[in-house]
Amino acid sequence: MDGITLQHYLFLAALLFSLGVFGVLVRRNALVVFMCVELMLNASNLTFLAFARDAGMDLGHLPALFVIAVAAAEASIGLAIIIAVFRSRGTVNVDDIRTMRL
Amino acid sequence: MLALDFLNAPYPWQPQAIADLLWVIIALPLAGAFLCGVLGKFMGRANTSFLACATVAGSFLLSAIAVFAVGTRSTQFISPGSGAPVPWALWLDLGRWFGAGDFAAHYGFVVDRLSGALLLVITGIGFLIHLYSTEYMEHDEGYWRYFAYLNLFVAMMLTLVMADNLVLLFVGWEGVGLCSYLLIGFWYQDTEKAFAGRKAFITNRIGDFGFLIGMILLALTLQATEAMGRAGPGRGNFTDLGPAKAWVAAMHEQGPLNVEVLRGWASRMPPDQGEKTRGVMTLNTVITEGSLKGKTFGHVLTAVLLLMLLGAAGKSAQIPLYVWLPDAMAGPTPVSALIHAATMVTAGVYLFCRLSFLLVLSPTAMAWVAMIGAVTAVWAALIAFAQDDIKKVLAYSTVSQLGFMFMGVGVGVWWAAALHLVTHAFFKACLFLGAGSVMHGNADETDIQRLGGLRKEMPWTWATFGISTLAITGIVPLSGFFSKDAILHGAHTLELTGFPHLGHVVYGLGLFGALCTAFYMTRLYVLTFEGKRAADARVPHAHESGFPMVFVLVVLAVFSVLGIAWGLPGVVVGPRGEKVALLEGYFAPVLLMAEDLGSRYGLMKHEHASPLLGFVIAWAIALVGGAGAWIVYRHWLPARAGQPLPPWIAVPWRWARHKFYVDELYNFLVIRPFTALSNVLYKVVDAGLIDTVAVGGTAGALRKVGGWLRYTQTGNAQNYATVMAVGLLVSICVVLTWVLR
Repeated sequence: MDGITLQHYLFLAALLFSLGVFGVLVRRNALVVFMCVELMLNASNLTFLAFARDAGMDLGHLPALFVIAVAAAEASIGLAIIIAVFRSRGTVNVDDIRTMRL
Repeated sequence: MLALDFLNAPYPWQPQAIADLLWVIIALPLAGAFLCGVLGKFMGRANTSFLACATVAGSFLLSAIAVFAVGTRSTQFISPGSGAPVPWALWLDLGRWFGAGDFAAHYGFVVDRLSGALLLVITGIGFLIHLYSTEYMEHDEGYWRYFAYLNLFVAMMLTLVMADNLVLLFVGWEGVGLCSYLLIGFWYQDTEKAFAGRKAFITNRIGDFGFLIGMILLALTLQATEAMGRAGPGRGNFTDLGPAKAWVAAMHEQGPLNVEVLRGWASRMPPDQGEKTRGVMTLNTVITEGSLKGKTFGHVLTAVLLLMLLGAAGKSAQIPLYVWLPDAMAGPTPVSALIHAATMVTAGVYLFCRLSFLLVLSPTAMAWVAMIGAVTAVWAALIAFAQDDIKKVLAYSTVSQLGFMFMGVGVGVWWAAALHLVTHAFFKACLFLGAGSVMHGNADETDIQRLGGLRKEMPWTWATFGISTLAITGIVPLSGFFSKDAILHGAHTLELTGFPHLGHVVYGLGLFGALCTAFYMTRLYVLTFEGKRAADARVPHAHESGFPMVFVLVVLAVFSVLGIAWGLPGVVVGPRGEKVALLEGYFAPVLLMAEDLGSRYGLMKHEHASPLLGFVIAWAIALVGGAGAWIVYRHWLPARAGQPLPPWIAVPWRWARHKFYVDELYNFLVIRPFTALSNVLYKVVDAGLIDTVAVGGTAGALRKVGGWLRYTQTGNAQNYATVMAVGLLVSICVVLTWVLR
């Protein structure tokens, strides 16, 4: 454990976050986009926990638990939306869902 | 032999009660204008005509009562300007109209003998002309519009005449200008007539602008006087502790442009008289307060009066602004008679009579007024020689007669100018209405070369027109003779400081003008009424007009004859004990102060000379002019019909025919440069800078930028998220690099 410092955790978290952002921005499948969002959330969780551990305070665990709870709720609603979209349009490809343009 | 004392008989009514009702004189025609204009279409022709005539008749009755009241000495008011009683006058102050800083103006009305005489002329002749119009306009669709304008004109003219301050006078001044414009362009579907209306309006605006500047300068002068009186010892005549206390109070209460305040100022402002005026302000004192600093009172006063002369020249059609009046004949003929002969155009003369006490303090201004009048009198008369339109001849004749009135004002015989104003109102209205009757009976023919021989076909018109022609020519038992001759006599005997020969020059020009008047008026009469009917006449037989028109003509002709009584010299005992003409004595309370100032300061006086020689000369001139025209147009020209005129007549005749090319000159000097400048402004500034660059440029740039930005709206959430992510990244970098360092 000695060789692993706060910076390693932070770099890992940044990498995970960037991967998540990249996936959100470029993937076409709504399900994959959704999973990438989860990745970003977990990257932020990792940051919280790394700082908590580094500072020796348990208080940092609290936001991580919140994020997990919110992510669970989000997952249920998000999946419901994706299913509804698939039912109405027959696709979950985000390029085909352009309702924000008139 | 009459004496002024008969006017002092006890009076049955309280003068104050009459003064309290002065506003009704204006309100009646104003209400008539409103009713005719708004409801006239629904009321029907007869009701509208009746209402319009009735309101003016009501004003006439009230005016007559007011004028009767100012005939008694017990009718007086306490002058706000001096605290002294002003006899033979009524004053109604309806309270403050507006105030701004040191300036104030009131709704105040004064009827004294000068404005009273004008009231009778305006409402009396106004009523007759309304009556005449009921027949003259009987086939016109716009009768309700016509009577509304005509009533509004009467109301505005009454405001002008009765106003007790120059600001309210200016309201009437602009109001009559507006009505004149509306009535000249009454048949506005005819482009030429609409243009004539605009020409009159714009020409008048030039004069009105001068008048306005003059008023502002005058107010500044009085305020400077008051401030200097407050500031310095040695300004004895205007300190608010001394005798000028009432004047200073009135300056603040009534405002500087109240006529009584102006009168108080003029009475305390002597020219420099050496030892006698030590320690007081004089006209030669340099102003040390306010924006007029560094100029003397006298110079500013002269500037004020010359600016007012410009205003009067616009309204009263004098050189250089006379060009609108002949074109104003585009309006209905009764309008020409009322507005452009009898009343509105005399406003300038009235203004200078009202302000005679200021005018007399500036000999330079007097000389200008006299010369403008004299030159206009001759100039317009020369143009009238060669005009063939019956109304145009009368229009130039009006300009010329107004020139005579200005001459009278300028040489200091204000009563004669006012007398000529009154007599001219009668005979010129009669001439115009006679011309209207001729047109009415001849299918609107106005070319006198195509009339002729109307004497038998229109006997009433012929008789009244003939009488008025004799009156304007100045044949002895008619009104024009003494009024014109009183002016000429005043010019002949004038001694004006600094202008020793002015009187003689003006007298010479006036005599020549009178000769021309006799000639062209006789020509007009001969070509219209004498001889045979022209071969190319529009209708083979003229018909005489109906009762209302003939009745009005007869009344006016009768007054053209009776008017002689007003000017007959030596009838009543004047203010200085000598025998004077009836109206000279009548107007004396208003005009005496100016004469007193003139003689007290040695600025202006008239030699005492017998007018008999002048009478003989004037009479001879009238006879020569009339006989000359008679011979030329009855014998000489008909005998040479078909032959060309000899060149010594033909060339000047052509010049006069084309009005000495003044319209062309103005067109070249003023209108064309102005149009060119307007074109440049229109094409470069308006169409170029404002339309293309400012308005079009803004819209074009926005459209261009919007076109580029349109590509960024894809509707794809991922694109938007990308932009957000990149933006966030950049923001974080900026914060980390510059803000958190």
